[in-house]
Amino acid sequence: MKESLMDVICCPIDKSDLELTVDERDDEEIIAGTLTCTECGETYPIEDGIPNLLPPDMRDEATA
Amino acid sequence: MGVLENKARARLFYKYLSKVYDTINPFIWNDEMRDEALSLLDIPEGARVLDVGCGTGFATEGLLRYTDNVHGLDQSIHQMEKAFEKFGKHDRVRFYRGDAERLPFQDNSFDVVWSSGSIEYWPNPVDALEEFRRVVKPGNKVLVVGPDYPRSSAMQAVADSIMLFYDADEADRMFEEAGFVDIEHHIQQAYPGSPKAITTIARAPE
Repeated sequence: MKESLMDVICCPIDKSDLELTVDERDDEEIIAGTLTCTECGETYPIEDGIPNLLPPDMRDEATA
Repeated sequence: MGVLENKARARLFYKYLSKVYDTINPFIWNDEMRDEALSLLDIPEGARVLDVGCGTGFATEGLLRYTDNVHGLDQSIHQMEKAFEKFGKHDRVRFYRGDAERLPFQDNSFDVVWSSGSIEYWPNPVDALEEFRRVVKPGNKVLVVGPDYPRSSAMQAVADSIMLFYDADEADRMFEEAGFVDIEHHIQQAYPGSPKAITTIARAPE
């Protein structure tokens, strides 16, 4: 995920801004990290460069 | 039409549904239909476009001919892996995992929102359409392709039991409820007798 996309994405539940914590980066590209909602505190992982912004109730059932 | 004929058609219909609806099947939705739908939108170069339910990237490929700013969202990483093979994971397309009914995007983020072959899976299509209206810029367009409601009663019974189908009146109702204006429909069909696709274009109010 490109860091510039922080201006586009938001929490899928309450649409508040997300805060980015970077675990691994390759230049502009965030490879691993966590997006945390500044309002509700829900966290969303960035997995192999793809932000997983599924609401928590869909994460398990959508793994298939 | 006799009962057997109906059953045969229902079986054919069921077969194509179960096998085909995971990806977009050329029997109901092919390159030509996609390209025709794309031409209805007139996407300007550089426009930021969201492809909801991008799946394997069939529509994404068409959208990339118009603009290099395409964002693809899908709930299944496995479907998207086929798209990664085509476009790279971090190259031409920005990919996200997410839910169509609860989009992870800020208001007015996109110039165009596109979704083909996905609406039939949404439990609450109006919720998803409201989200499309929220994330598309005011005055701009969304395009949704779904399966048109079959005319024969046997096919209808099958359709009703499996997933969402709708006709133009129902599409009007859903898009109006979601707050869209200037709603228009185009019925598209790959071959005579094959299931029809209904393509709806609507505009978010200014």
